[in-house]
Amino acid sequence: MMEWAKESLEKVEQSRAARLDKSAPSPEDSESILKNFHPDYSGKERTLTVGPNAGGQKFPFELADLLEGDSPLPGSHSTKTDIETDVLIIGGGGSGAAAALALEGAGLKTHLATKLRLGDSNTVMAEGGIQAALADNDSPRRHFADAMVGGHGENEANLLRILCESGPDSIRWLSQLGCLFDRNPDGTFRLRGGGGTSVPRVLACRDYTGLEIMRVLKDAVRLSSVNILEEHAAVELLDDGNKTVTGAVLYDQKNSKLVNVSARAVILATGGSGQLRLQGFPTSNHVGATGDGLVLAYRQGCRLTFLDSYQYHPSGACYPEALAGQLVTEAIRSVGAQVVNADGVHFINEMAYRDVLAGAIIKETREGRGVTTPNGKIGVWLDTPMIDLKHGEGTLAKQFPGLIHRFERYDIDPAKTPILIYPTLHYQNGGISVNAQCKTEVDGLWACGEVTGGLHGKNRLMGNSLLDILVFGRRAAESVKEDIPERRPLTLNNLNQFRKDRPASLEKSPAFFPAVSKMKLEFGKPETEVETSSSSETSGGYEPPDPFAR
Amino acid sequence: MKKIEIKISGKPVSAQAGETIIHALWAVGKGDLVKTGCAGGVCGACTVTIRYADGKTGGTELACMKPVEEGMAIFPCPVEPDKAVEPVLNPDALTLQSVFPTVNRCTKCGSCTTACPMSIPVMDSVLRMQQGSFDEVAEDFTTCIHCGLCRFVCEDKVKPHNMGLWIRRSLGKSHEVLAVSSEDSENIEKEWQHLMVEDKQERLQRAKDFRETGGVSA
Repeated sequence: MMEWAKESLEKVEQSRAARLDKSAPSPEDSESILKNFHPDYSGKERTLTVGPNAGGQKFPFELADLLEGDSPLPGSHSTKTDIETDVLIIGGGGSGAAAALALEGAGLKTHLATKLRLGDSNTVMAEGGIQAALADNDSPRRHFADAMVGGHGENEANLLRILCESGPDSIRWLSQLGCLFDRNPDGTFRLRGGGGTSVPRVLACRDYTGLEIMRVLKDAVRLSSVNILEEHAAVELLDDGNKTVTGAVLYDQKNSKLVNVSARAVILATGGSGQLRLQGFPTSNHVGATGDGLVLAYRQGCRLTFLDSYQYHPSGACYPEALAGQLVTEAIRSVGAQVVNADGVHFINEMAYRDVLAGAIIKETREGRGVTTPNGKIGVWLDTPMIDLKHGEGTLAKQFPGLIHRFERYDIDPAKTPILIYPTLHYQNGGISVNAQCKTEVDGLWACGEVTGGLHGKNRLMGNSLLDILVFGRRAAESVKEDIPERRPLTLNNLNQFRKDRPASLEKSPAFFPAVSKMKLEFGKPETEVETSSSSETSGGYEPPDPFAR
Repeated sequence: MKKIEIKISGKPVSAQAGETIIHALWAVGKGDLVKTGCAGGVCGACTVTIRYADGKTGGTELACMKPVEEGMAIFPCPVEPDKAVEPVLNPDALTLQSVFPTVNRCTKCGSCTTACPMSIPVMDSVLRMQQGSFDEVAEDFTTCIHCGLCRFVCEDKVKPHNMGLWIRRSLGKSHEVLAVSSEDSENIEKEWQHLMVEDKQERLQRAKDFRETGGVSA
């Protein structure tokens, strides 16, 4: 176990006692750390040549290529309606599920489509918690002030006010659905600090907060009247021929066929784009986080905002290789694990803002004070044994079972040995521009959750995205209920116009799956060919009989 | 990195030591053979069974978490979700039996505990379900990812993870409703006016000051 790092680990152990009660310096010049070391400032971005953002704000290369890419839809595609519904929600994570639940009882027929399964999302992977101003010395205004400073003052103030004001009610809503949050011995919710919170405000369910929220939402959606379309990837949005969005083309992955959905309202809840792995960074995101919703909305004429800003979570796992990029929750730092370099030096306050801390870790490794793994990755230590030293033996295992569970397979016990971390691509700060009703700039199309931009400014605080998806998922649904348009025809006019305007490139988008997975959706093939290739993998008599088949 | 050979549904595939099953399948363009959702061990999509040629004990695993080993034979084992059951207020053992009638059919064979990729003591917890010790059950299932393997391997059609969620949700719904402290609404609006000022620089400065005290200083 980590023999290759023996020398450095000894230094970390030797310096631990002296570090125990000392807080590390806050970064002296966070501006210069960001400018010189944060990936947002590396210049690996460009302007677009087509669409509402043409010539304006820059986009990361990987995303820009997708936004200018061509639709995979055959030019001959017929828009004859296959499914008629009132509301089509695209996305099966927390925001889509919250919107679906909020539409229940409104008398609107609702379909929810996801290219994966319901709940397979970034939501289910969220670990550390959810913010809500519940403490006696707290208020939604203080929550607002913390998030505004964390976002470098760039946040859309009206959206942020809604987020913070809706915190307590969102916790009440989740509790009524049956979510269990960690509590103090006296029965009150246990609140923790997070980077940039001026008072403890983060509720959690161990280090599985997103899992707890998602499994409850998923169960509630399965009990609702919503029609769930799993393994139905959104390929394109449809319009009425006069700019208004009126439905979508989905790809039914099980039956290998395209399906046209006519909807009076479409809610995009497609999440983020960490799987684009900008600049070669690893990611903490789920398999589906390929920015599909951004591409679809952009072709309809929706303006995108803040997409020059991504969140690189400071503590992604760096070793073992099999866990590279996976999240090590910020909550571990907020209860006392320090960030330490190869020499055992506590070089920065671990509760600095995420962007600054990520930059500082990158700086440390570039300047030769990191630890190199056998796979050639470089990271710094997260001194997890500090937690039991500070709070008593067993604390880490009790509060962070997920961390222990993932590392024990590799004979690493984080209660005894520090773990190696490096920033991982975690969150899409920007996205589709929306108003306070979650309306995009195109009629008929709403958007909520990570696919939108503006709320978090240029840096999101821990625990504000789980709150975001609930608040704005439900809000999008309320707005749809109030303002749902009449049914209109299905055309490909917006797409056809975009196809005329776009630069000639071979790139196809959306991506649907991460490039590293080599998985692709192809629609051009005749159906028989698709069937042969998939059935040949499971035939041949290799599969042993299943005793439990029913 | 060392090259090793594994089998997926009987077909040999080359893999690199140290990578997970999912990454090995991705690398050879066979990612669509095993369902994936999060690839981070919490969504439960990538359930597989594993066998070894040399007689070593195999079992069920999450393909995104299990590193490849020489000679490993992998079989996709997708589990369809079961019908959801509406939670109730103040759940007890009798109600549980009425909505999950198979709970008492458990023969204590231990398959569910062996199958669980999250190391939950599933079989012991089924016993606690029968006895109505629901707080303990809720604790047991805190880390349940609903992959469904415990239900899939049960010969007696017991549904441990469904019952675990039903108990957790039922207990959650039965907790007291969160009280919200009443605040002076005039003061609230004053603070918002102060914080929501148009000018960006001024707004940021006011937010910085507000963080220090939690209010508008005189």
